Amino acid sequence: MKTKLTIAGLFAALFLSALPSTSVAHGDGFNDVVKVIERFYHVKHQSIPLLARAAMKAVRTGARIKGGDYKRLAEAGSVRVAFFEDQNFDSRGQIATFKALMQTTLEREWSPLVQTLAPKDEEQAYIYIRDAGNKFHVLVVTIERHEATVVQATVAPEILAQLMKDPNEMGKTLTEDATIKDY
Amino acid sequence: MKNFFQTSWKLAPVLLLLVLGNAATARAQGGRLQVDQLDVLANKASQTVDVKLDERLLQTTWKFFSGKDPDEARIKEVLKGLKGIYVKSFSFEKEGEYSQAEVESVMSQLRTGGWSKIVTVTSKKASENLGVYLNMTGAEIGGLAVVSFEPKELIVVNIVGPIDLDKLSSLEGQFGVPELGIEKEPKKKN
Repeated sequence: MKTKLTIAGLFAALFLSALPSTSVAHGDGFNDVVKVIERFYHVKHQSIPLLARAAMKAVRTGARIKGGDYKRLAEAGSVRVAFFEDQNFDSRGQIATFKALMQTTLEREWSPLVQTLAPKDEEQAYIYIRDAGNKFHVLVVTIERHEATVVQATVAPEILAQLMKDPNEMGKTLTEDATIKDY
Repeated sequence: MKNFFQTSWKLAPVLLLLVLGNAATARAQGGRLQVDQLDVLANKASQTVDVKLDERLLQTTWKFFSGKDPDEARIKEVLKGLKGIYVKSFSFEKEGEYSQAEVESVMSQLRTGGWSKIVTVTSKKASENLGVYLNMTGAEIGGLAVVSFEPKELIVVNIVGPIDLDKLSSLEGQFGVPELGIEKEPKKKN
């Protein structure tokens, strides 16, 4: 009887281990990613008031799709932003581990689109995407040595089509667009 | 009941290998290469680029390219039938940062499953280790792969769906596909 229970327990453990992990992902990619960054890098995100974000407009160039007219990329009211400023982002040679952690966290609902890593400079950019009816949710994570930004926005497919032409610039373009408030 | 558990327990590792084997084969089929095993190189690489444009994304967005602008019209035509664009690119500061095993993990897939090397291509980059491979499923093109391995660089481009060298050229420098400088070799005169 004891042997039966042990074997049944082993089968149950095998079955459970094959199921997707629910301990990390909870369906809200934005908050999950912010937590992953905080835990991996031992940093804390800051909420920056809208007024402060508006001030950033003065020192930044407006987001434009290359070769096109200026237009807002993200759908109105769809933007969520988390900033990490004046903090230390040191992967300790484990940048691939962080990349895998991002993937584990988001894989249930989000698809990876572009990931660029430069470990020496501690620079990383991740763009994930998921369906939002006839539009797309785009999640952009950019990490540098002393700052990071997480942006989630809804974009129309025609905007996404143009951004896809230059995936390496897509994250920067969307982040600039999302962090600049027009007046 | 005891016999059932004993037999199941003995068969479990075999079943597990069968499931994992089938999954790996399935991923490598139909013009799609399995290249996620290369991700470990990210820790050693000075620059890593990983682009994944899947069928759903391509099929949702191709129609938004203009048919009037010649460049966009060409892109639109190319993207229309594609099922995926996948790029992995690693640059290294020093030589010898990746092993033959990593290259072999890709090349072994290209020796089976309907892949054949296109021998009539050259590259402006003068890479000695650049190969262009075409996947055929019957008479249909299932995909194309470009593998370039230099002492300080490893690039794998995998485009799934109906694609040829002309279409590949129109994607170079866009959609994450690097400038490969691939050219058809001129036909030799007899």
